[in-house]
Amino acid sequence: MSSCHHNHHNMDINGCDAKISDTHLPKKPKLSPTLISDTELESEFSHHVQNIARINNGSFGCCPKSVMSAQQKWQLEFLKQPDDFYFNRLKEGILQSRLVIKDLVNADHVDEISIVDNATTAAAIVLQSVAWDFIQGKFNKGDAAVMLHYAYGAVKKSVEAYVTRAGGYVIEVELPFPVNSVSEIISEFRRALERGKVNGRKVRLAVIDHVTSMPSVVIPVKELVKICREEGVDKVFVDAAHGIGCVDVDMKEIGADFYTSNLHKWFFCPPAAAFLYCRKSSEIDDLHHPVVSHEYGNGLAIESAWIGTRDYSAQLVIPKVLEFVNRFEGGIEGIKKRNHKVVVEMGEMLAKAWGTHLGSPPEMCSSMIMVGLPASLGISSDSVALKLRTHLRNSFSVEVPIYYRAPGDGVVNPVTGYARISHQVYNKPDDYYRFRDAINQLVNDKFTCELLS
Amino acid sequence: MDTNGADTKISNTYLPEKPELSPTLISDTELLSEFSHHVQNIARINNGSFGCCPKSVISAQQRWQLEFLKQPDDFYFNRLKDEILKSRLVIRDLSVAWEFLQGKFNKGDAAVMLQYAYGAVKKSLEAYVTRAGGYVIEARFPFPVNSDSEIVSEFRKAVERGKINGRKVRLAIIDHVTSIPCVLIPVKELIKICREEGVDKVFVDGAQGIGCVDVDMKEIGADFYTGTLNKWVFCPPGAAFLYCRKSNEIDDLHHLVVSHEYGNGLAIESAWIGTRDYSAQLVVPQALEFVNRFEGGIEGIKKRNHKAVVEMGEMLAKAWGTHLGSAPEMCSSMIMVGLPASLGISSDSIALKLSTHLRNNFSVDVRIYYREPGDGVVNPVTGYARISHHAYNKPDEYHKFRDAVNQLVNDKFTCALLA
Repeated sequence: MSSCHHNHHNMDINGCDAKISDTHLPKKPKLSPTLISDTELESEFSHHVQNIARINNGSFGCCPKSVMSAQQKWQLEFLKQPDDFYFNRLKEGILQSRLVIKDLVNADHVDEISIVDNATTAAAIVLQSVAWDFIQGKFNKGDAAVMLHYAYGAVKKSVEAYVTRAGGYVIEVELPFPVNSVSEIISEFRRALERGKVNGRKVRLAVIDHVTSMPSVVIPVKELVKICREEGVDKVFVDAAHGIGCVDVDMKEIGADFYTSNLHKWFFCPPAAAFLYCRKSSEIDDLHHPVVSHEYGNGLAIESAWIGTRDYSAQLVIPKVLEFVNRFEGGIEGIKKRNHKVVVEMGEMLAKAWGTHLGSPPEMCSSMIMVGLPASLGISSDSVALKLRTHLRNSFSVEVPIYYRAPGDGVVNPVTGYARISHQVYNKPDDYYRFRDAINQLVNDKFTCELLS
Repeated sequence: MDTNGADTKISNTYLPEKPELSPTLISDTELLSEFSHHVQNIARINNGSFGCCPKSVISAQQRWQLEFLKQPDDFYFNRLKDEILKSRLVIRDLSVAWEFLQGKFNKGDAAVMLQYAYGAVKKSLEAYVTRAGGYVIEARFPFPVNSDSEIVSEFRKAVERGKINGRKVRLAIIDHVTSIPCVLIPVKELIKICREEGVDKVFVDGAQGIGCVDVDMKEIGADFYTGTLNKWVFCPPGAAFLYCRKSNEIDDLHHLVVSHEYGNGLAIESAWIGTRDYSAQLVVPQALEFVNRFEGGIEGIKKRNHKAVVEMGEMLAKAWGTHLGSAPEMCSSMIMVGLPASLGISSDSIALKLSTHLRNNFSVDVRIYYREPGDGVVNPVTGYARISHHAYNKPDEYHKFRDAVNQLVNDKFTCALLA
C-alpha cells in the first residue's frame, strides 16, 4: 500500500493537511492473533431477527454488535460535552477514518478521500458540479453524459435532476441480461460513446457502476475507464455502492476520476457512511458538498467533515470497523473471497434445484449472484416482482429482492424473474435451502403471481 | 397527492394522539438523571450551539437504530415512511439558484440577508445565489441594539437598495434569532415590509426556533421557515424541519441529495435520501413526550428559560460593571452580556481563544463575540458572552462564570497573554 510521499508544508487548495497526515499515520491494525470464533460471530449478529433467511445483504448491509457499541460511545462523547468534542476531537477523528480508507483503496493521498453519508450523496456531489459546468458555459448544451441502463434508479434520477435539467444529453448503455461475458458489455459501451460524440458533441461524464444493483453484474470498470480515456471522455465517475468488501477496490488500478463506495453495505459500518475518492489532478475540481457550511471552499473532504450539527458517529467508527474485519482470516480480502465462493455455490445449487440458470457467469459476480426463478411463477412486471418479494418475506421468512426481466420476442416459456442472493459472514447454508424449498413449494402448489393482490 | 407531496388522506386518518401533559411532572432527581451524561463540574451555559439530548430520548433513538439493523428490509418497506409522517405531524402541530440559472430571475436581481446571518448560511448564499448571478445585500443593524425599530428601519433601507435600477428582490433571508450576536428579530414586522415591497419569497432561518421563541407559522407568515429540533427540543443530532407554505405556485423545491422519490414533493424526497440513520427524525414523538413532562410543556420551558437567562444576564452585567447586548424583550433563551473592557478582546480569533481558555482553565463552556468598537469610544466593551439557559442549567453555573471573569480581571489578565 502506498503512503503519503508528498512533503508540502503548505495547505494546498484541496485542503491537504500534509504535515498532519505524515505524523498521524494510523497504526495499521494487525490481523488479530485469535480469529473470531463461530460463537463470537453469532453473538455479533444476534440482534438480527432470527429464523429469517436474510439473504439480501446487498440492500442495506449489516452492522455487528461491537461496532454498534463503538458507535454509541462516539455518540455519547458528543452529547457529554459537544463544544469540546467539536473543537478538539471531531476533525482528528474524521481524519483517522479517512486514513484507514486511503490505505484500503490504494489512494495516493488522504486529500483524495472524503466521507459522506452514502453513494447517493456522492452522486449528488459529482453531478451538481457537472450541472454548474453546463450552466456556466464550460460545457455546451447538448454535450453528453453516458450511464448504464442498469444504473441505480436513484442515480438516474440524480442525473435527470442535475445533468438533464442543466442542458446535458443523457445516453444509456444498453446491456444484455443475462450476460455471458465482459466483451458484451465492452462493445455496448463503445457504441454508446460513439453516439455521445455524434454531431460534434463531447462526452463530458461517464457514470459507470462497478457492480450494478439490479440485475447485479460485475462491470469491467478498468477496461471501460480505458475506453473513456481513448475516446476523450472528460471525467469518469464509478458508482461502487457495492464496493469495498464486495469487489477489488484499487483506485490506481481502476483509474477513475471519481469513485464512491458505501461502507455500510459490505464493510460493516453502521448506517451510514461512504467515501468519495477524487483523483488529484492539475485542474481544480470544483466539487462541493451540497450542504454548504463554514468550511465552504476548503476542499470537499474538509467541507464534508462539517455540514452542520449532525451525528458523525458512523464516520468516526471506521477504525473500529477495520479492527472487526481483521478478526477474520485474511481480513477484508478473505471475507470477500469466501463470500464470493459461497454465493456462487449457493447460486448454482438453487439454479439446479429449480431447473433454471444463473444471470451471469461466476466471474462476473461478486458477493451477490442472480438466479433465475421458475417460469411457472409468472413474474410479469416490476410491481409483481415486488409483491412476490413481500410474499416471500411474509409467508416464508425469506428476505430476497426479485428482478423482473421482460422476455425477448418469441422466447418460449421464458424466465422473467431473477432472485439476487447475497452472502455475508452471518449467512448459513440453511438460509439458501429455506429459499430453495420455498420456491419449490410455490411451484408444487401451482402458485402463480396472478394470485398476489 | 397534491404537487407538494402532501398525503392529505393519511394526515387526516393518522392524527397522532396529542400527548397530554404528563400527570406527574418530572422531578428534580429525574431531571438530574436525564442529563447525568453531561460532563459534571462544567458550567455548560452554551445550549445555543449544540443543544442537548436527555437520556430517555437517547434510549428511544437507540431502539429505533436497532429496529432498522434487526431487519432493515422490513423496516424500510413497512415502517419508515409512516414513522417519519408521525414526526412531521408532531411538528405541524407545534411551525433560489435554479431560478437564476433558468432565467426565471434576472442576473443581478437581489437577495437580502441580515448582517448577522449565520456564517454557514452566508456561505450558502455565496455558493448558490452569488454564483448563479444574484446580488446579495446585507441589512446592517447596530449592536448593542435597543429596540425593534432600529432593526426594522435598517431592513427597510436594505430592501430599498435591492430595488434600485429596476432590480427585483427575489429572496429575503431573515434570522428569527441571530446566532452571534444573539438578538430576537421582529420577523413578523420584517415580513410585512417584504410583502409591501414586493419581495418574492421570504425564508426565516429559525435555527434557534422551536423551544426558544414563539414559532407560529401562520402568525409569522413566511414562505419558508426552518427550525432545528436538536437545539431546544431535546432531539438528538441532527434533525430539523423545513416549513414550506402551500401556495398556488408550485415551489420547485428539491432535496439536494436526489434519490428514488425525486419529484414526489420535498417532504417525501427528504424521507428517503439513501440509506442512512433516520433515528433522530423518528424520535420526535418521544422528544415531545419528554417535553410534556415539564410544567406547561414547551411553552413553560421557554418562559422559564427566558426569565432565568435574563436574571442571570443582569446578575453578570452588574457583577462586571458592563451591560446587556439587547433589551430583555429582544432576547430569547439566550442573552448577550458585555465582558469587562480590561480583558482586551481585540478580534474574532482572540474571542475564540478566550472561549478556549475559559473552557480549559475554568470549566466554562460559553461563546464569546467580538464587536469592533465605534470610533472615539473610550475604553469600549468589545466582547460579549452569549449565555444560554435550558432545563438542565443551575444558578451555580452562572456564578462560576461570574467568578472566572472576576478572577481574570483581578489578575489583570488581558487576552494579549493568550498564545
